[in-house]
Amino acid sequence: MGEPLLRLEGVWKRFGRDWVLRDVGLSLFPGEVVALLGPNGVGKTTLLRVAATLTRPQRGEVELFGRPARAVEAERAELLFLANPPAFYRHLTGEENLRSALFMGGRGVSAEEVAGALSWAGLPPARPVAAYSSGMRKRLALARIRLMGPRLLLLDEPETALDEAGRELLRQVIAAARERGGVLLATHDREFAGAVADREVVLS
Amino acid sequence: MRRVLALALRDLKLELRGKAGLFSALFFLGVVLLILGFALGPEREDLRRAAPGVLWVALAFAGSLLAGRAWAVEVENDTLDDLLLTPGSREWIYWGKFLFLWVLLLAVSVVLLVLVAGMFYLPLERGPAILLTLVLGATGYAAVATFYAGLVVRLSTAQLVLPILVFSVVVPVVLAAVRATTGLAGGAEIAEVVPWWKLLLVFDVIYLTASSLLFPFVIEG
Repeated sequence: MGEPLLRLEGVWKRFGRDWVLRDVGLSLFPGEVVALLGPNGVGKTTLLRVAATLTRPQRGEVELFGRPARAVEAERAELLFLANPPAFYRHLTGEENLRSALFMGGRGVSAEEVAGALSWAGLPPARPVAAYSSGMRKRLALARIRLMGPRLLLLDEPETALDEAGRELLRQVIAAARERGGVLLATHDREFAGAVADREVVLS
Repeated sequence: MRRVLALALRDLKLELRGKAGLFSALFFLGVVLLILGFALGPEREDLRRAAPGVLWVALAFAGSLLAGRAWAVEVENDTLDDLLLTPGSREWIYWGKFLFLWVLLLAVSVVLLVLVAGMFYLPLERGPAILLTLVLGATGYAAVATFYAGLVVRLSTAQLVLPILVFSVVVPVVLAAVRATTGLAGGAEIAEVVPWWKLLLVFDVIYLTASSLLFPFVIEG
Protein backbone atom coordinates (compact mmCIF):
# COMPACT_ATOMS: atom_id res chain seq x y z
CA MET A 1 0.00 0.00 0.00
CA GLY A 2 3.03 2.26 0.24
CA GLU A 3 3.74 4.96 2.79
CA PRO A 4 0.66 6.33 4.59
CA LEU A 5 -0.46 9.87 3.78
CA LEU A 6 -1.47 10.26 7.39
CA ARG A 7 -0.37 8.31 10.45
CA LEU A 8 -1.51 8.89 14.02
CA GLU A 9 -0.12 6.74 16.80
CA GLY A 10 -0.95 6.81 20.50
CA VAL A 11 -2.60 10.23 20.22
CA TRP A 12 -3.95 11.76 23.42
CA LYS A 13 -5.69 15.12 23.43
CA ARG A 14 -7.44 16.92 26.23
CA PHE A 15 -9.26 20.21 26.71
CA GLY A 16 -8.89 21.37 30.29
CA ARG A 17 -9.24 18.23 32.39
CA ASP A 18 -11.29 16.28 29.87
CA TRP A 19 -9.48 13.81 27.66
CA VAL A 20 -11.20 13.86 24.28
CA LEU A 21 -8.82 11.48 22.53
CA ARG A 22 -7.21 8.58 24.39
CA ASP A 23 -4.51 6.55 22.69
CA VAL A 24 -5.95 6.88 19.20
CA GLY A 25 -4.13 5.33 16.25
CA LEU A 26 -5.02 5.56 12.58
CA SER A 27 -3.36 5.33 9.19
CA LEU A 28 -4.65 6.55 5.86
CA PHE A 29 -3.02 5.13 2.74
CA PRO A 30 -3.07 6.48 -0.83
CA GLY A 31 -6.24 5.50 -2.65
CA GLU A 32 -8.25 5.14 0.57
CA VAL A 33 -11.38 6.81 1.85
CA VAL A 34 -11.80 6.29 5.60
CA ALA A 35 -14.94 7.29 7.50
CA LEU A 36 -14.78 8.28 11.17
CA LEU A 37 -17.99 7.38 12.97
CA GLY A 38 -19.17 7.86 16.52
CA PRO A 39 -21.62 9.79 18.67
CA ASN A 40 -21.44 13.54 19.33
CA GLY A 41 -18.53 14.64 21.49
CA VAL A 42 -16.46 11.54 20.93
CA GLY A 43 -13.64 13.51 19.31
CA LYS A 44 -14.12 13.12 15.55
CA THR A 45 -13.61 16.82 14.81
CA THR A 46 -10.70 17.02 17.25
CA LEU A 47 -9.07 14.07 15.51
CA LEU A 48 -9.45 15.80 12.15
CA ARG A 49 -7.97 19.00 13.58
CA VAL A 50 -5.02 17.07 15.00
CA ALA A 51 -4.54 15.44 11.59
CA ALA A 52 -4.70 18.87 9.93
CA THR A 53 -1.93 20.17 12.27
CA LEU A 54 -4.37 22.75 13.65
CA THR A 55 -4.22 21.31 17.17
CA ARG A 56 -1.29 19.65 18.86
CA PRO A 57 -1.94 16.53 20.89
CA GLN A 58 -0.55 16.27 24.42
CA ARG A 59 0.91 12.88 23.58
CA GLY A 60 1.45 10.72 20.53
CA GLU A 61 2.86 10.94 17.04
CA VAL A 62 1.31 12.55 13.99
CA GLU A 63 2.88 12.18 10.57
CA LEU A 64 1.74 13.67 7.28
CA PHE A 65 3.21 12.58 3.96
CA GLY A 66 5.86 10.66 5.91
CA ARG A 67 7.04 13.69 7.91
CA PRO A 68 6.35 14.68 11.52
CA ALA A 69 3.40 17.10 11.63
CA ARG A 70 5.53 19.81 13.29
CA ALA A 71 7.92 19.81 10.33
CA VAL A 72 5.18 20.10 7.71
CA GLU A 73 5.25 23.51 6.00
CA ALA A 74 5.36 23.45 2.19
CA GLU A 75 3.39 20.17 2.25
CA ARG A 76 0.34 22.04 3.59
CA ALA A 77 -0.33 22.91 -0.07
CA GLU A 78 -1.31 19.22 -0.47
CA LEU A 79 -3.67 19.25 2.51
CA LEU A 80 -7.18 20.62 2.73
CA PHE A 81 -9.43 20.57 5.79
CA LEU A 82 -13.10 21.30 5.29
CA ALA A 83 -14.66 22.40 8.58
CA ASN A 84 -18.35 22.16 9.35
CA PRO A 85 -19.72 24.70 8.57
CA PRO A 86 -17.12 25.77 6.02
CA ALA A 87 -15.57 29.19 6.62
CA PHE A 88 -15.56 31.99 4.06
CA TYR A 89 -15.23 35.78 4.09
CA ARG A 90 -18.84 36.95 4.20
CA HIS A 91 -18.20 40.30 2.53
CA LEU A 92 -16.42 38.74 -0.44
CA THR A 93 -18.22 37.07 -3.34
CA GLY A 94 -17.91 33.37 -4.02
CA GLU A 95 -15.47 34.10 -6.83
CA GLU A 96 -13.35 36.43 -4.68
CA ASN A 97 -13.25 33.85 -1.89
CA LEU A 98 -12.05 31.14 -4.25
CA ARG A 99 -9.43 33.32 -5.89
CA SER A 100 -8.12 34.49 -2.51
CA ALA A 101 -7.96 30.96 -1.05
CA LEU A 102 -6.20 29.61 -4.11
CA PHE A 103 -3.67 32.43 -4.23
CA MET A 104 -2.86 32.13 -0.51
CA GLY A 105 -2.65 28.36 -0.94
CA GLY A 106 -0.03 28.78 -3.64
CA ARG A 107 -2.27 27.54 -6.45
CA GLY A 108 -2.33 29.56 -9.64
CA VAL A 109 -5.61 29.15 -11.48
CA SER A 110 -7.17 31.18 -14.25
CA ALA A 111 -10.37 33.20 -14.00
CA GLU A 112 -11.95 30.70 -16.39
CA GLU A 113 -11.13 27.79 -14.08
CA VAL A 114 -12.69 29.61 -11.13
CA ALA A 115 -15.77 30.46 -13.17
CA GLY A 116 -15.93 26.84 -14.34
CA ALA A 117 -15.78 25.51 -10.77
CA LEU A 118 -18.54 27.90 -9.65
CA SER A 119 -20.68 26.86 -12.59
CA TRP A 120 -20.00 23.18 -11.76
CA ALA A 121 -21.20 23.86 -8.20
CA GLY A 122 -24.26 25.76 -9.48
CA LEU A 123 -23.28 29.01 -7.74
CA PRO A 124 -23.60 32.67 -8.82
CA PRO A 125 -20.10 34.21 -8.99
CA ALA A 126 -20.97 37.79 -8.02
CA ARG A 127 -23.12 37.28 -4.92
CA PRO A 128 -21.49 37.93 -1.51
CA VAL A 129 -21.14 34.80 0.60
CA ALA A 130 -23.19 36.56 3.30
CA ALA A 131 -26.17 35.99 1.00
CA TYR A 132 -25.41 32.26 0.53
CA SER A 133 -27.47 29.57 2.21
CA SER A 134 -25.58 26.95 4.25
CA GLY A 135 -25.95 24.49 1.37
CA MET A 136 -24.48 27.01 -1.05
CA ARG A 137 -21.52 27.56 1.26
CA LYS A 138 -20.96 23.81 1.28
CA ARG A 139 -21.04 23.80 -2.50
CA LEU A 140 -18.54 26.66 -2.58
CA ALA A 141 -16.27 24.57 -0.36
CA LEU A 142 -16.60 21.69 -2.83
CA ALA A 143 -15.65 24.04 -5.69
CA ARG A 144 -12.60 25.05 -3.70
CA ILE A 145 -11.57 21.41 -3.13
CA ARG A 146 -12.04 20.74 -6.84
CA LEU A 147 -9.76 23.64 -7.78
CA MET A 148 -7.10 22.99 -5.13
CA GLY A 149 -6.89 19.25 -5.76
CA PRO A 150 -5.29 18.23 -2.44
CA ARG A 151 -3.58 14.87 -1.91
CA LEU A 152 -4.97 14.62 1.59
CA LEU A 153 -8.55 15.69 2.13
CA LEU A 154 -10.03 15.97 5.62
CA LEU A 155 -13.80 16.45 5.74
CA ASP A 156 -15.92 17.19 8.80
CA GLU A 157 -19.53 16.13 8.25
CA PRO A 158 -19.34 17.09 4.58
CA GLU A 159 -22.82 15.81 3.67
CA THR A 160 -24.77 18.07 6.04
CA ALA A 161 -26.80 20.93 4.48
CA LEU A 162 -26.39 19.45 0.98
CA ASP A 163 -29.38 18.46 -1.17
CA GLU A 164 -29.22 15.34 -3.36
CA ALA A 165 -27.56 17.22 -6.25
CA GLY A 166 -25.03 18.65 -3.79
CA ARG A 167 -24.32 15.16 -2.44
CA GLU A 168 -23.60 14.00 -5.96
CA LEU A 169 -21.04 16.82 -6.28
CA LEU A 170 -19.55 15.70 -2.96
CA ARG A 171 -19.28 12.09 -4.22
CA GLN A 172 -17.46 13.40 -7.32
CA VAL A 173 -15.04 15.41 -5.18
CA ILE A 174 -14.33 12.42 -2.92
CA ALA A 175 -13.78 10.12 -5.91
CA ALA A 176 -11.32 12.63 -7.46
CA ALA A 177 -9.51 13.03 -4.13
CA ARG A 178 -9.17 9.25 -3.83
CA GLU A 179 -7.47 9.21 -7.26
CA ARG A 180 -4.93 11.82 -6.12
CA GLY A 181 -4.40 10.63 -2.55
CA GLY A 182 -6.75 9.86 0.32
CA VAL A 183 -9.77 11.11 2.23
CA LEU A 184 -10.54 11.03 5.95
CA LEU A 185 -14.10 12.11 6.72
CA ALA A 186 -16.13 12.37 9.90
CA THR A 187 -19.83 11.72 9.62
CA HIS A 188 -22.94 10.62 11.49
CA ASP A 189 -24.55 9.27 8.33
CA ARG A 190 -23.78 5.53 8.19
CA GLU A 191 -25.48 5.16 4.82
CA PHE A 192 -23.33 7.92 3.31
CA ALA A 193 -20.20 6.46 4.92
CA GLY A 194 -21.04 3.03 3.55
CA ALA A 195 -21.48 4.47 0.06
CA VAL A 196 -18.22 6.41 -0.18
CA ALA A 197 -15.74 4.89 2.31
CA ASP A 198 -13.47 1.89 1.96
CA ARG A 199 -13.09 1.56 5.72
CA GLU A 200 -14.95 2.75 8.77
CA VAL A 201 -13.32 3.65 12.07
CA VAL A 202 -15.65 3.96 15.03
CA LEU A 203 -14.56 6.22 17.89
CA SER A 204 -16.09 5.40 21.24
CA MET B 1 6.01 39.13 -0.94
CA ARG B 2 3.07 38.77 -3.33
CA ARG B 3 1.13 36.84 -0.71
CA VAL B 4 1.87 39.53 1.90
CA LEU B 5 0.49 42.22 -0.40
CA ALA B 6 -2.50 40.08 -1.39
CA LEU B 7 -3.37 39.41 2.26
CA ALA B 8 -3.11 43.11 3.20
CA LEU B 9 -5.17 44.21 0.20
CA ARG B 10 -7.83 41.58 0.85
CA ASP B 11 -8.12 42.66 4.50
CA LEU B 12 -8.37 46.32 3.47
CA LYS B 13 -11.14 45.42 1.02
CA LEU B 14 -12.97 43.51 3.78
CA GLU B 15 -12.51 46.41 6.21
CA LEU B 16 -13.94 48.91 3.73
CA ARG B 17 -16.87 46.64 2.86
CA GLY B 18 -17.53 45.78 6.52
CA LYS B 19 -17.09 49.44 7.57
CA ALA B 20 -17.54 48.81 11.32
CA GLY B 21 -13.92 49.02 12.51
CA LEU B 22 -12.68 51.99 10.53
CA PHE B 23 -15.81 54.09 10.95
CA SER B 24 -16.05 53.45 14.69
CA ALA B 25 -12.40 54.53 15.03
CA LEU B 26 -13.04 57.72 13.03
CA PHE B 27 -16.18 58.48 15.04
CA PHE B 28 -14.23 57.89 18.26
CA LEU B 29 -11.51 60.25 17.01
CA GLY B 30 -14.08 62.97 16.39
CA VAL B 31 -15.50 62.57 19.90
CA VAL B 32 -12.04 62.64 21.53
CA LEU B 33 -11.06 65.79 19.62
CA LEU B 34 -14.31 67.53 20.52
CA ILE B 35 -13.99 66.70 24.21
CA LEU B 36 -10.34 67.79 24.34
CA GLY B 37 -11.19 70.95 22.40
CA PHE B 38 -13.88 71.91 24.92
CA ALA B 39 -11.69 70.94 27.89
CA LEU B 40 -8.72 73.03 26.74
CA GLY B 41 -10.81 76.15 26.11
CA PRO B 42 -11.00 78.63 23.27
CA GLU B 43 -7.60 80.30 23.67
CA ARG B 44 -5.64 79.79 20.47
CA GLU B 45 -2.25 79.55 22.21
CA ASP B 46 -3.49 76.94 24.74
CA LEU B 47 -4.88 74.81 21.95
CA ARG B 48 -1.72 75.17 19.89
CA ARG B 49 0.49 74.16 22.83
CA ALA B 50 -1.62 71.08 23.50
CA ALA B 51 -1.88 70.04 19.82
CA PRO B 52 1.03 67.49 19.73
CA GLY B 53 -0.30 65.75 22.84
CA VAL B 54 -3.85 65.78 21.49
CA LEU B 55 -2.62 64.28 18.22
CA TRP B 56 -0.97 61.32 19.91
CA VAL B 57 -3.59 60.79 22.63
CA ALA B 58 -6.26 60.59 19.93
CA LEU B 59 -4.12 58.33 17.76
CA ALA B 60 -3.25 56.02 20.65
CA PHE B 61 -6.93 55.64 21.60
CA ALA B 62 -8.05 55.15 18.00
CA GLY B 63 -5.15 52.72 17.55
CA SER B 64 -6.41 50.62 20.45
CA LEU B 65 -9.75 50.33 18.63
CA LEU B 66 -8.05 49.38 15.38
CA ALA B 67 -5.42 47.09 16.94
CA GLY B 68 -7.62 44.01 16.85
CA ARG B 69 -8.93 44.61 13.32
CA ALA B 70 -6.03 42.71 11.74
CA TRP B 71 -7.35 39.48 13.25
CA ALA B 72 -11.00 40.35 13.83
CA VAL B 73 -11.78 39.61 10.20
CA GLU B 74 -10.55 36.02 10.66
CA VAL B 75 -12.47 35.58 13.92
CA GLU B 76 -15.70 37.05 12.52
CA ASN B 77 -15.54 34.72 9.52
CA ASP B 78 -14.04 31.66 11.28
CA THR B 79 -11.28 31.67 8.68
CA LEU B 80 -8.24 31.61 10.97
CA ASP B 81 -7.75 27.86 10.45
CA ASP B 82 -7.72 28.26 6.68
CA LEU B 83 -5.10 30.98 6.95
CA LEU B 84 -2.94 28.81 9.21
CA LEU B 85 -3.20 25.92 6.77
CA THR B 86 -1.65 27.87 3.93
CA PRO B 87 1.69 26.37 2.92
CA GLY B 88 5.07 27.63 4.06
CA SER B 89 6.39 29.29 7.18
CA ARG B 90 3.89 31.58 8.88
CA GLU B 91 5.95 34.79 9.09
CA TRP B 92 4.32 36.05 5.89
CA ILE B 93 0.95 36.08 7.66
CA TYR B 94 2.40 38.43 10.28
CA TRP B 95 3.77 40.75 7.59
CA GLY B 96 0.46 40.78 5.70
CA LYS B 97 -1.50 41.61 8.84
CA PHE B 98 1.08 44.21 9.88
CA LEU B 99 0.87 45.90 6.48
CA PHE B 100 -2.93 46.01 6.71
CA LEU B 101 -2.90 47.63 10.17
CA TRP B 102 -0.08 49.99 9.22
CA VAL B 103 -1.99 51.32 6.21
CA LEU B 104 -5.14 51.65 8.32
CA LEU B 105 -3.27 53.59 11.04
CA LEU B 106 -1.61 55.85 8.49
CA ALA B 107 -4.94 56.64 6.86
CA VAL B 108 -6.38 57.54 10.26
CA SER B 109 -3.22 59.53 11.08
CA VAL B 110 -3.60 61.70 7.97
CA VAL B 111 -7.25 62.44 8.80
CA LEU B 112 -6.24 63.17 12.37
CA LEU B 113 -3.41 65.47 11.32
CA VAL B 114 -5.81 67.56 9.25
CA LEU B 115 -8.39 67.69 12.05
CA VAL B 116 -5.83 68.64 14.72
CA ALA B 117 -4.36 71.29 12.42
CA GLY B 118 -7.85 72.75 11.93
CA MET B 119 -9.13 72.52 15.51
CA PHE B 120 -5.94 72.95 17.54
CA TYR B 121 -3.88 75.20 15.24
CA LEU B 122 -1.10 72.62 14.79
CA PRO B 123 1.26 74.39 12.35
CA LEU B 124 1.40 72.51 9.09
CA GLU B 125 4.50 74.29 7.77
CA ARG B 126 6.37 71.30 9.24
CA GLY B 127 3.76 68.92 7.81
CA PRO B 128 6.17 66.52 6.04
CA ALA B 129 8.32 66.20 9.17
CA ILE B 130 5.25 65.59 11.35
CA LEU B 131 4.06 63.06 8.79
CA LEU B 132 7.41 61.26 9.03
CA THR B 133 6.97 61.13 12.82
CA LEU B 134 3.50 59.69 12.33
CA VAL B 135 4.86 57.04 9.93
CA LEU B 136 7.59 55.99 12.39
CA GLY B 137 5.16 55.95 15.31
CA ALA B 138 2.49 54.04 13.39
CA THR B 139 5.10 51.45 12.35
CA GLY B 140 6.06 50.64 15.94
CA TYR B 141 2.45 50.66 17.08
CA ALA B 142 1.29 48.38 14.24
CA ALA B 143 4.23 46.00 14.78
CA VAL B 144 3.34 45.45 18.45
CA ALA B 145 -0.44 45.50 17.97
CA THR B 146 -0.33 42.91 15.16
CA PHE B 147 1.78 40.58 17.28
CA TYR B 148 -0.29 40.81 20.46
CA ALA B 149 -3.60 40.71 18.58
CA GLY B 150 -2.43 37.41 17.05
CA LEU B 151 -1.37 36.15 20.48
CA VAL B 152 -4.80 36.75 22.05
CA VAL B 153 -6.94 36.09 18.97
CA ARG B 154 -8.50 32.93 20.44
CA LEU B 155 -9.29 34.47 23.84
CA SER B 156 -12.86 35.53 24.54
CA THR B 157 -11.42 38.49 26.48
CA ALA B 158 -9.14 39.60 23.63
CA GLN B 159 -10.81 43.02 23.32
CA LEU B 160 -10.10 43.75 26.99
CA VAL B 161 -6.60 42.31 27.18
CA LEU B 162 -5.22 43.69 23.94
CA PRO B 163 -5.00 47.43 24.81
CA ILE B 164 -3.28 46.61 28.11
CA LEU B 165 -0.68 44.42 26.39
CA VAL B 166 -0.10 46.86 23.54
CA PHE B 167 0.17 50.01 25.67
CA SER B 168 2.56 48.37 28.12
CA VAL B 169 5.05 47.75 25.30
CA VAL B 170 4.39 50.65 22.99
CA VAL B 171 4.84 53.46 25.56
CA PRO B 172 8.42 54.30 24.44
CA VAL B 173 7.20 54.75 20.87
CA VAL B 174 4.37 57.08 21.89
CA LEU B 175 6.63 59.12 24.19
CA ALA B 176 9.34 59.53 21.53
CA ALA B 177 6.72 60.45 18.94
CA VAL B 178 5.14 63.07 21.26
CA ARG B 179 8.54 64.64 21.94
CA ALA B 180 9.37 64.76 18.24
CA THR B 181 5.99 66.28 17.36
CA THR B 182 6.22 68.82 20.21
CA GLY B 183 9.62 69.90 18.96
CA LEU B 184 8.41 70.26 15.38
CA ALA B 185 5.26 72.16 16.40
CA GLY B 186 7.31 74.45 18.66
CA GLY B 187 9.66 75.45 15.84
CA ALA B 188 12.70 73.40 16.88
CA GLU B 189 15.46 72.74 14.35
CA ILE B 190 15.21 69.43 12.50
CA ALA B 191 18.58 68.45 14.00
CA GLU B 192 17.00 68.60 17.48
CA VAL B 193 14.26 66.16 16.41
CA VAL B 194 16.51 63.69 14.63
CA PRO B 195 17.50 61.82 17.85
CA TRP B 196 13.80 61.12 18.51
CA TRP B 197 13.37 59.82 14.98
CA LYS B 198 16.41 57.59 15.43
CA LEU B 199 14.95 56.26 18.66
CA LEU B 200 11.64 55.56 16.92
CA LEU B 201 13.46 53.79 14.10
CA VAL B 202 15.36 51.58 16.54
CA PHE B 203 12.14 50.61 18.32
CA ASP B 204 10.47 49.91 14.98
CA VAL B 205 13.28 47.61 13.84
CA ILE B 206 13.39 45.76 17.18
CA TYR B 207 9.61 45.33 17.39
CA LEU B 208 9.26 44.21 13.77
CA THR B 209 12.15 41.74 13.95
CA ALA B 210 11.17 40.20 17.27
CA SER B 211 7.47 40.04 16.41
CA SER B 212 7.90 38.40 13.02
CA LEU B 213 10.32 35.81 14.41
CA LEU B 214 8.13 34.92 17.39
CA PHE B 215 4.82 35.05 15.54
CA PRO B 216 4.79 31.48 14.10
CA PHE B 217 5.12 30.09 17.64
CA VAL B 218 2.34 32.18 19.21
CA ILE B 219 -0.27 31.78 16.49
CA GLU B 220 -0.44 27.96 16.74
CA GLY B 221 -3.47 26.61 18.56
